[in-house]
Formats: sequence, C-alpha cells, structure tokens
Amino acid sequence: MEQFILLLNVKASAFLKSVTDLRPQSILKNLSSLFIFGGVAVGVFLLSRAATGYLLTQAHIGLFLFHRFLSMLLYVFFITVNLGNMIVCYATLYKSDEVTYLMGLPIPHHTIFAVKFIDNFFYSSSTLLLLGLALLLGYGSYFGVSPWFYFFTFAAVLLPFMLTAGVIAVIVLMLLIRIASRVGIRWVLAGIMILYLSAIYLYFSAVNPVNLVQEVMKHYPEVNAYFGYLDPPFVHYLPNHWVSEFLYWTVSGEPARATWHLVTLFCILVSLLLTAWMVARVYYYKSWMSTSEARSPGSGRPGFLQVGFMEFGREGVLPRPADAFLRRDFWGFFREPSQWLHLLLMFVLLCVFLVSMSSLELKLTQPFLQTISYLVVFLFDGFLIASISLRFVFPALSLEGDAFWCVRSAPVNLRKLYWQKFIGSFLLIVTTAEILSVASTSMLRDSPFLILVGSLCTAFVALGLTALNLGAGAYFATFREKNPIRIASSQGASLTFLGGMIYLGAVVAILVVPLNRYFEILIIRGTTAPGWLLIPIVAVGLLTGAVFAGSTGIGLATLRRDY
Amino acid sequence: MNPTVQISHVTKKFGPFVAVDNLDLSIGEGEFFGFLGPNGAGKTTTIKMITGLYAPTSGTCLINGHDVHRDPLPAKRSIGYVPDQPFLYEKLTGREFLHFVCGLFNMPAALVREKIEEYTEVFEIGDFIDRRAEEYSQGMRQRIVLSAALIHDPGVLIIDEPLVGLDPRSARLVKDTLKERTTKGLTVFMSTHLLEIVEELCDRIAIIKQGRIIYEESQTGARRSNGELETMFLELTK
Repeated sequence: MEQFILLLNVKASAFLKSVTDLRPQSILKNLSSLFIFGGVAVGVFLLSRAATGYLLTQAHIGLFLFHRFLSMLLYVFFITVNLGNMIVCYATLYKSDEVTYLMGLPIPHHTIFAVKFIDNFFYSSSTLLLLGLALLLGYGSYFGVSPWFYFFTFAAVLLPFMLTAGVIAVIVLMLLIRIASRVGIRWVLAGIMILYLSAIYLYFSAVNPVNLVQEVMKHYPEVNAYFGYLDPPFVHYLPNHWVSEFLYWTVSGEPARATWHLVTLFCILVSLLLTAWMVARVYYYKSWMSTSEARSPGSGRPGFLQVGFMEFGREGVLPRPADAFLRRDFWGFFREPSQWLHLLLMFVLLCVFLVSMSSLELKLTQPFLQTISYLVVFLFDGFLIASISLRFVFPALSLEGDAFWCVRSAPVNLRKLYWQKFIGSFLLIVTTAEILSVASTSMLRDSPFLILVGSLCTAFVALGLTALNLGAGAYFATFREKNPIRIASSQGASLTFLGGMIYLGAVVAILVVPLNRYFEILIIRGTTAPGWLLIPIVAVGLLTGAVFAGSTGIGLATLRRDY
Repeated sequence: MNPTVQISHVTKKFGPFVAVDNLDLSIGEGEFFGFLGPNGAGKTTTIKMITGLYAPTSGTCLINGHDVHRDPLPAKRSIGYVPDQPFLYEKLTGREFLHFVCGLFNMPAALVREKIEEYTEVFEIGDFIDRRAEEYSQGMRQRIVLSAALIHDPGVLIIDEPLVGLDPRSARLVKDTLKERTTKGLTVFMSTHLLEIVEELCDRIAIIKQGRIIYEESQTGARRSNGELETMFLELTK
C-alpha cells in the first residue's frame, strides 16, 4: 500500500508541477487551455440547458421519453469512454517504458497495474469528464436543483459511471492480450471490432430511437400508456439505464427509487474493481510479459502486407527525398496496428453514418427546420472530419519521433517535408469529406445547388481542419511518444479539437441566416439558386484562409525549434 | 589548410542557463578530433549545434565553409552524424532505414544497394539487416546508425559516444573503420567519456567544462602515454 501511495504521489506531483509551472510559455499554454476548455464547457452547459428546455417545454416529449433519449446518449458516452480507455490502456499498461522500469523493481505487479490504471483513466477521460459535468450542470439548471445535487451526482454517479466503463475496458484488455498470445493479435483485434460494432448495432436496433418516437407519438399525449412495455429487458442491466433512471426519479421527486439505481451502479462498480484487481493479480504480469516478448529480438514476424511498388529501393514517381518520406510513412502506417485498425474503424463508422442517413425520411416544410436539418448534417460531417484529422493529421509531426535526428541532420528542406505532409493529409481528408458531404446531402434530397454549396463549404472545412491539425500538431509535437493514439488524446490534441469545433461553429454561424433566407425563398417560389449565397461561402473561404495561414505559419515556425 | 569544421564564438543559452559559452574550435581535414568533458559540460549541445539540431544563440558553425544554420543544405551534405542515442524508425528494417537515409542524401539507387551490402558486411550486421528495428539490441542499433552516418561518404563525421552498447569485437571494428577513414581524408569530431579510446584514436583533443574550453591541444600529433590523459583530465575538471 505504501508503494501504491508513493507512486501515486509521484504522479500527482508531476501533474501539479506541470500545471503550476510559472515559465511564461507554460502560463500562456495553461491560460489558453483554461480559456478554450472553459469556453467549450460553457457552450456545452448552455446547449444542454437549451436542449432540455426545448424538448420538455416546446416539443413536450415528457420526462420519461426525455430520459430514454438521455439513456441512449449515455450509452454512446459509455462506449466512448470504454473504447478510449481500452485503446490508451494498451499503451499505458503494456508499451510504456515506465512500466518496464517499474517491473524491474521490487513492486507487486498488481500495484503497478493499479497506479497505471488510475493514471490512464484520468489521462484518457478527463476531457469527457469535463463535458459530462457541463452536461449535468445544464440539465440540473433547467430543473433548478440544489447545488448539492451537482456535487453528489458528479462524485457518486458520473464518476462511478465512467469508472465502470474504464474498469470493464481494462479487464477485457487483459483477457484479450492473454488470448492474443495464443491465437494472434490480428484475430483478437478483429474480434474486438466486431464485438463493439455488434454492441452498438444491437443496442440501437433494440431501443430504436425512430420507432420509439413513432410509437410514443401514436399514444401522444397519453404516452404513459405505452411506458409499460417500452424497454427491452436487457436495457435494465446497463449502467447508462441506471444513471438515467437515477436522474429521472430524482427530478420526479422520488429519491427512494433513485437511490436503488445508485446503489446498483455502486455495487457493480465495486464488483468490477475487485474483479479487475483479481484478474490483474493473475494475468497482468503474464499479459505484460507476452506483449514484451512479442517485441523482443527473434520474435520476427513476416509482414502480412506486400506492396511491391512501395518497397524501398524501387524507382519512385516522386523526386527524392519526397519519395523516401512517402515510403517511410507508408510502411510506418501499415505496420502499426493501431494506425490501420483505427482507419478501418473510422471507415466502418462513416459507412454506418451514411447508411443511417439513407434511411432518414425528412419531409420538412418550415424553412427554419430545413436550415437546421441541413446544418446539423453539415456539422456532423464536419465533426467526423475533425475527428479523422485529429486522429491522423495531428500526430503526423510527432510520429517523426526520436529518429527525427536523421532528418534534421540531413540535407533536407524541412519546409518541403511539412508541405508534403500537408498535401498528403489534405488529399485524404478532402476526399473523405467530399464523399461524406455529397452522399449525405444527396440522401437528404437537397437540390443540386445546395449540394454544391455543401461541397464548397466542406472543401474549405477540410482545408482549415487539415491546416489546423498539422500546425497545432507541430506546435504540440511530442517526439518521445511513440503511440499515435496517445498523441491524438494529449492535452494539445484536445485543445486543437476544441479549436476545430469553434471553427466549425463559426462556419455554421456564417451560413445559418443566408440558408434560412434561401429556404424561405425556395418554399415561396418552388425553385431558386441565388447568387448572393456565394457571399457567405466567400466569408467561409476567408475564415478558412485565416485559419490556414495562422496554423501553417505556426507549424512552419516550430520546425525551426531546437530538436 | 582550410578548416573543415570551424566553430566561432558560439554561445547557446537555454533561458538564463548558458550551456555553451563563446566556444571557438577549428578542425582540419582528415583530423581525428576528441571532444572531452564531464557530464553536463556542453558536449552534446555543441554537437547538436554543429549538426543543425540546435540553433546557436550567437556565433557560427561552418562545415566546409558553409554555415550550418544560414546555409544548411550544403553544410549537411558533408556531415555524417551518430547521435548519443541510436534511435531508429521502429517499424522499418535496417535495410529500409539505410535506403531511407540514402534517399535523404539523394544517392543513386544502384550505389545505394552496393553501399548497403558493403556496410552490412563491414559492421557484421548479417540477417538482422532485414529485421525491424523494434527487434534490435542497443549494439545492433548502433551498427545501423554508424552505417547510416558513413553510407553517403561524408567529409565530416560528427559522433557522440560511438561505442555505446557495442561488444568488444564490434568496438574494434568501429575503431578500425574510423581510423582507416581518417587516413582517406575523413574528418572526425568525436565526443566521448572513454579516455582510452581518445588516447588510441585522436590526433588532437579539447576539454570543455561548464560550456567553456578549458584545454585545447594546439597541433595535431601530440602523443600521450598510458594514463597521462586521465591524470590531466581529472586535474582539469575537478
């Protein structure tokens, strides 16, 4: 126990030193973090309060249906925390040099596990914890609850809920690594992907939000008549259900029924923590050993990917050294499972999104609702592009890694390297973005003119987000970190993502009024393709230009920094 | 004789801390120069300025007359660099890494293949050349990095602790290779803590302490007998 506390103390003091660093650049960085995170938290708070108010007082969906939607949102939140923890846990618990060092000391393996688990949970979930708190504040402020409700719900509900997701992630990971040492990592990774996609698909097939609305609305306003047979039985065993039920019964003024769900959540968390502890005692060292041996000399594995024309030594189409960089990045990407697997996962998610869009039947007649639906789809496309950019473009410079010395000391123009990374990333992002934009706006049966508007704005957004992520990725570069997932979930990455969200919000703000005017004219006249709609597109272009110039300037300037 | 490496009034500050203070050094063609100093004296900082990894706060580093910071490409074309830690791209094999480095130096493809075979043999890399770097031992990494530094036939080799992690046989190989290259005109700027290596290989030495040169031999060919250098080093750096 003493060792556990000592190690946690070291972690805590390292964290405190980083946030209380009084050097000017650190103060500036911490202040800008505070400003951006604070701004987003306030935005989420306002959105949460407004959405709660709208659904309950304008749309009159009722408390029950509202909490069922909240439950679905919490399910997505749970899966996000769970997956995030599992992915980052692999790097923290198995690939970290710190663990290798600690394993050589007389410290019980399960103590190392406990320290690294806590470290990992707060590292990978802190941003989501902040967003969860902002959502909770928005929700609570609508119902006018007491300040104690926030403290209690945050500490006794939200934190245990997220911790439950994190503990499940680490238990599954340890077991999977043990299995992987017998059947091979690729089969296990494929299994995880299928498992999670199935879990998401089965959940939403069972609770189907579209059916839910249609069925409830059939009984409207007597929706309570439908409540008795609404939930599929398995939903009652999910943590998101306990949290939403706790909130439902709390705001309904029945604390005794709320407590029951809280106790359930707490008991399950304690059971899971004990299970994780026991699994760690048995398997953590063995699973760490098997991952460690997999990287040792003599464990050589043949590459499963054979792409002859990309092999080193072949004549390339690009001039040198661009050709050398291209081949290095290609093999570096496809030999790192976390890279290609994530790309594959994102591709599947994009397909799921497009399939979901194709089944939407929106026959809206009000201009404002049409504007909202168009911009929500645009914003969702933008959100996906921001996520892909963050995951694959932001780490691009950091992934030069410790071996960057060989590029920095070679006769290579670093600006060319930067532009090569930019062009490669932009081509990937803009292609994906355009496919998404054209497919999603076509599926909503928008006019060719609106599809063109969406396509132009999407191209700008792809440009802005690529430049932002590459520039910020260079500024926050961490050459010591080998894991791209940890780079993309660092504090700098979170700031960049929030910056991207602010940029997307500004683009939507530019478009909202002109689009609303467009839909008004369209409904009156039946058809229109007004030239004045080009003005907001030009404004989006100018905004993007500013983001591009600022980010690229910062990115190029950081290349001159000492390495 | 024009100096191959010319360091003039170079200072490097990290905030208020002065790591290298007004350093002046001049190394001629084919010279094997030993750069010594206690831990934290400024050796690696100096090397990083010579190779363009750090920008000096003031002063200039010239390689064959080209300023590494104002005119980096011609200067870097002449440099081969072996860092203190032999970091490689973990997912590339040794052969792929050497191909990559040759690409950075724009070497013709046919010559690249020939050179890779040559250095695989010189440093006895064997079958490891086709294994990924993530499987390498420290010594194997060092052999790959040494091959990468020499493969483009540089005029100047900047080398920071060349024998880290090498077994006695590999160390002998490296020493013989470096000595043989200097006879053909290669200039070596070597930083090390191993005084016996300096005694065996170096034509001339300088000792740095707290960022300042405290001792520099004025001419090539000064001879030191066994243990003499150690006594002098300990005396000067205490």
